[in-house]
Amino acid sequence: MTRTPLLWVVWGLITLFGVGAVMAKLYVGGDRTVLLPDQTAGAHHQLEISCETCHTSDAFESQATVRKDINKTCTTCHKDELKAADDSHPKKKFTNPRMAPYWEKIDGRFCTSCHVEHQPEITGPMMVTLPGDFCVACHSEGEQDIRVDRESHAGLTFDTCASSGCHNYHDNRSIYEDFLVKHADQPWLNASPVIAAAALPTAPQPENTQAIEAYLASVTVKDADPEILHDWASTAHAAADVTCATCHAPEEQAWTDHPTQEVCADCHKPAAKTMALGKHGMRQHPEIAKPRDAKKTLKSLGWKDAPEALITAMNTYLNDPTPPAQMSTNDALVPVKEDAHGLDVTCSSCHSPHKEEPQHTAVTACLSCHDDQHSTSYPDSPHFALWQAEMLGDGVPGSGVTCATCHMPQTEKKGLAVTNHNQNDTLRPNEKMIRAVCLDCHGLGFAIDALADPELIANNFSGQPIAHIESIDWAIRRVEPSGQGANQ
Amino acid sequence: MTSYGTKIKAALLCGAMTLGGTSVAHADMEYQQVSDLLHLVMSSDRTVYTRMIVNRLANQEGVIKASEHFEDEKALVLPAQMFRFGAEMVAEETDAFSYSLLSLWPINKQNAPTTDLEKEGLQYLVDNPGENFYGEEELGGVNYYTAFYADVAVAEACTSCHNDHKDSPKTDFEGGDVMGGVVIRIPME
Repeated sequence: MTRTPLLWVVWGLITLFGVGAVMAKLYVGGDRTVLLPDQTAGAHHQLEISCETCHTSDAFESQATVRKDINKTCTTCHKDELKAADDSHPKKKFTNPRMAPYWEKIDGRFCTSCHVEHQPEITGPMMVTLPGDFCVACHSEGEQDIRVDRESHAGLTFDTCASSGCHNYHDNRSIYEDFLVKHADQPWLNASPVIAAAALPTAPQPENTQAIEAYLASVTVKDADPEILHDWASTAHAAADVTCATCHAPEEQAWTDHPTQEVCADCHKPAAKTMALGKHGMRQHPEIAKPRDAKKTLKSLGWKDAPEALITAMNTYLNDPTPPAQMSTNDALVPVKEDAHGLDVTCSSCHSPHKEEPQHTAVTACLSCHDDQHSTSYPDSPHFALWQAEMLGDGVPGSGVTCATCHMPQTEKKGLAVTNHNQNDTLRPNEKMIRAVCLDCHGLGFAIDALADPELIANNFSGQPIAHIESIDWAIRRVEPSGQGANQ
Repeated sequence: MTSYGTKIKAALLCGAMTLGGTSVAHADMEYQQVSDLLHLVMSSDRTVYTRMIVNRLANQEGVIKASEHFEDEKALVLPAQMFRFGAEMVAEETDAFSYSLLSLWPINKQNAPTTDLEKEGLQYLVDNPGENFYGEEELGGVNYYTAFYADVAVAEACTSCHNDHKDSPKTDFEGGDVMGGVVIRIPME
């Protein structure tokens, strides 16, 4: 072999080795962040190692197909949220051909018309990548010209529609016009301010010391820590005949000192489901792609009927902690306390495994990590004082307001309180909190004003709002003096 | 010979055009027939819901009200909403046709005509009671066969709601009036 062909062979081998090394690093190592065109928005950074969650199209598909596929993945996670929001601008509103002229302005058929990923330099509040006056595109001409249709809007500029506390693109459940009129006369604080769901009976627990003693006398646990056993005896778990083995040796498996949160999820399915919809647990969402699914990968490479033994061997080899099963506090984009870094967020992060501690679960656990001004101001807030009073027996059940009251609100189901474990569900926009929580104790006008006042939010609502949103005033002006209902 | 050949070509072309013309006319008839039948179903369901549900329960017997905010108010869905929800459900299943309820005097401004053909068709329905209007238009790069059918006030619930609503541009509707139109679109290719 002459020198030139030899060099070609060497070059080829080096290239193959290099490509193989890179592919091995990406696939076996599981870290795809090197492929990121730029950082993702909001909580999506938790999915950056699972590109396939959003990028589902086959290679070399047309741009139209890729756009369609990506937009489908938005609703795999956000579909229920949009449905619950009674979405004001659903996709189905824009698919009719008569909306074609609007497609050229802002194509409402696609989430990505307003929310483009990997564009941090143009991503604004609500993860919107359009200029803040985007409403102008459709509501400034002809029959849709809101400045003509509403006298109160005549002199307004379009950059204030969505930023003033008056309108949201998707969720207007608590700020639509008839709702404003209906709740216009409410005082800032109701006569009996109580969170209705929090006042509901909890799951049955041993009623008194005798019941606890009777339980302890009825169980025999070898080498059990007496303190743990005593704590356990006073829980609803004990009252429901949940035993040590239920969690530590589920389904006759070998004993483990540290049960996984899947054990909790086996019984607490609604809690696990809602947890997976929020930032704390979104990596548990069933639709999050596993980046190194061997069977799927072999299939995409054309090997549809790969032997199970090979798939099992590959999965076993690749079964390392990437992607992490849980979010770590290291991943948090909000301020986190110095000593809280490096912690996985699991059920037991907030729920003590062997005893029920409402103060810890609803307050202390949150404040052990969150270090922003809103959180650190909570112990000085009127809401916290109400909670302390309730804990001391000086306030009626449901009169206290904890972190969980607002960020993990409860609802009634079959006479019991059910907790929504999606801590994002009442945020972004924060008006989502109004109907779910605020109106149990406060009037609508106060709630709208308070949630539009950044300083009041920062000091955890210690005081009255300085800002005043005029939407209720304008809505009332439109129905007076006729007293007729207004149209949204 | 040349002249004879040209005549043959012309005859063949005329034949082709005639055949083509017949085909287009036939296709138009099919579009119209499909559209008319679709409208018959829509119109019947809409009339039944308006007369036998909303007008009977809300206006005559007063046992429940109908409201735009039917979930918050624990009320009946408005007839116009009932129609729109059906149209949206169809749109989620197929793009073989689409339909809308529009008006020259809409309470909800998004139901005002937007295309030139919509303006022409809705005005035609008002000016020619009892007649339908058919046309073609291009929207989003696709040609559509578009049919317009008068939406008539079939019950007191229709006129009272529109006449009393503060956002209604027209407040003197009477029973039997054309209040708007059902617009059905079928993509032509």
